[in-house]
Amino acid sequence: MLFGALLVVGLLGGELVHRFASLPRITGYVLVGVACGPHALGLIEGPLFAGARVIVDLALGLIVFELGHRFDLDWLSRNRWLAVAAVGESVGAFFAIYAGLVYFEYSPLLAACAAAVGTATSPAVVMVVAHELRASGQITERMLLFTAINCVFAYVALTLLLPFLHLEHSSGGRSAILHPLYLLAGAGLLGFAGSQLLLGIAKWLGKREDRQFVLLIALVVLVVGCARALNLPVVVALLVLGMLARNLDYDHALLPLRFGHAGQLLFVVLFVLSGASIDFSGLETAALVTAVFVVVRFLGKAVAILALGRLSGLRAGGAGLLSLSLLPMSGLAVVMVYDTAALYPRFGAELAAVVLSAVALLELIGPLATQFALKKAGETHPEPRAADTQLET
Amino acid sequence: MEFTRSKSLSLGIELELQLVRAHDRDLAHEAGDLIERLAQHKVPGEVKPEVTLSMIELNSTIQSSYAGALAELEAQRAVVIEAAGVLNLGISGGGAHPFHDWTERRVYPADRFKAVTQRYGYLAKQFTVFGEHIHLGCTDGDEAVYLTHMLTRYMPHFIALSAASPFYQGEDTAFQSSRLTAVSAFPLSGHMPFVPDWAAFLEYFENMRGYGIVEGMKDFYWDIRPKPEFGTIEIRVCDTPLTVRRAALLAGYAQALAGWLLEERSRAPSAAVYQVNAFNRFEACRFGYAGQLVDPYARRKKTIGADILDTAAAIMPQATRLGCVDAVRELADGVRRGYSDAGWLRERLAEGGSLPDVVREASALWARSSGKT
Repeated sequence: MLFGALLVVGLLGGELVHRFASLPRITGYVLVGVACGPHALGLIEGPLFAGARVIVDLALGLIVFELGHRFDLDWLSRNRWLAVAAVGESVGAFFAIYAGLVYFEYSPLLAACAAAVGTATSPAVVMVVAHELRASGQITERMLLFTAINCVFAYVALTLLLPFLHLEHSSGGRSAILHPLYLLAGAGLLGFAGSQLLLGIAKWLGKREDRQFVLLIALVVLVVGCARALNLPVVVALLVLGMLARNLDYDHALLPLRFGHAGQLLFVVLFVLSGASIDFSGLETAALVTAVFVVVRFLGKAVAILALGRLSGLRAGGAGLLSLSLLPMSGLAVVMVYDTAALYPRFGAELAAVVLSAVALLELIGPLATQFALKKAGETHPEPRAADTQLET
Repeated sequence: MEFTRSKSLSLGIELELQLVRAHDRDLAHEAGDLIERLAQHKVPGEVKPEVTLSMIELNSTIQSSYAGALAELEAQRAVVIEAAGVLNLGISGGGAHPFHDWTERRVYPADRFKAVTQRYGYLAKQFTVFGEHIHLGCTDGDEAVYLTHMLTRYMPHFIALSAASPFYQGEDTAFQSSRLTAVSAFPLSGHMPFVPDWAAFLEYFENMRGYGIVEGMKDFYWDIRPKPEFGTIEIRVCDTPLTVRRAALLAGYAQALAGWLLEERSRAPSAAVYQVNAFNRFEACRFGYAGQLVDPYARRKKTIGADILDTAAAIMPQATRLGCVDAVRELADGVRRGYSDAGWLRERLAEGGSLPDVVREASALWARSSGKT
């Protein structure tokens, strides 16, 4: 019952901020989550989180899969400057955050881990804002492509930092090498196996949108489940699944996917719950660091994009908007922090203190930045205006 | 309104093309980005925007033969494909996108197109269809009026030879060319009135302007219209073919046919042509070569395919003189084999199983250097 009520309130919240403040609906969902969450009304608590787990998994799973599916190797091979810009965006964000945190006298290892986490743009926010605005165009496409790449970059970077954590916090030298290897290779293999299964069955099913949609959901749930059981990074496995399903689909077996109305339901739940799980405690104690984190992250992302914008074929003014659209940071970062905390609780707590306050801030302003950028770029579906339909006089 | 004097039977081609997204093969909204990018390249002729952001238009320069037009279109094609690749856009021929949703279209942000939208409402977005326009140079207005009347009898040929829009809004329309239906919705579509000469046409035009119905010739969406600014007549019934080669062949056929009509002058313009025009036009759109054509001069029916072959034989001497024998022959061979772009698209659906497959294959065909079809 509580769950149903939450959906209604979430939906209304989204609609209210959209109608009266022209804000993205997901900002409304997040605000409802904050209001109902443990820090305010306390309506959303442990059992509800656990109960909604399946829905959150499915929502994130579909989003991350589609993000991977937008990763187009052909495009990157035709437009090398785009590839350079995408990698440069990740590298720039990583080193900018790292330098910023080291300046504030955090340990290099902590700074590096936080920087790795901070490199990733939130797949859920960019994807859902793009869907909500029916955005389509160069900025939108590149935003999704860059997000896919910086998410992979973030995970790989964080995983490669694990050996140093091993050395600092535990004994065994062998696990220092083997564990990261297991994580990356495992997730890669799982994604590959999933993609082969997906493509094989899709080919056998034929080009039927309804059946392929069910198949896709099944595969996403399966890959999430396997990744959980094997303690592999879920998001990497899903991204690999999407990327390979796109780039290894030589027979063109897979139809383009559409979310439809069911997708909306998933997104409401996802963002209400992510609002409820925002931790604002760091914002008071570490306000300055948080602000610096957010600003240098943005600048780090913008450098490569601005430098290579024209070469990679962006129109004038596009590079700034693209940089802005990549601002969101959310649940994915939280997941990375918790994954690390599960391995090294004390270090995890330190990392959380740095990263989660930035998440709290960006959870609120990130969607606004993305919406502003896509609208300004003229890539959203135009709202019907009275002038277009009025009778001529 | 002066009729600019041009070299008789000189050629010009305009091609409206589809911009296709890579990830789902639906129409893209990126004409602005592509045109800006092309501005940095040296492109022969011109690349222009069209009413919605999903279209671009290639214009050739004035050519004396179809072979020259082909070489130029080929060069344009290469530059456009290169620029579109950087933006991850596909370019496709064909008269209509097989499954786009017209409500998703966005109007190109220019005053001219905003005015069209303001006036025509949803028709403007539904006008996201893709045609080839063939310009033929005329020495004066009287020649333009004469050719317009005489060529009207042959419009079903051009419809059937170019037909490349069997799918519309996600459905097989059963038509070879569904595109012309979108044109017919406009109030000023149809054909030029049956006037005897340029002076009479001017009188008609001034009347229409006096009523405030039109401002210029561009407001008439006729199947063939005189274009006094260019000193041409413009054949507007063709779907954009799937290859630049076929687009050039059609121009060659038009040139040979017009040359023959001007040379022979064996028949006078007849109002009867316009009486049967709507029937013939429908037959061509629906059935292509298999459609019936009523010939008001001979007062009998035959299939459009047979009429094309007879005409091709008759105009050969003119084709030889004008250097477009190969064009006429290649098109006629296609008719004998029953080849049409619409048929090719239907085969791709049968093969691939979905309309996105059709669009992918059509874009790949456009991207390849033109070969015989």
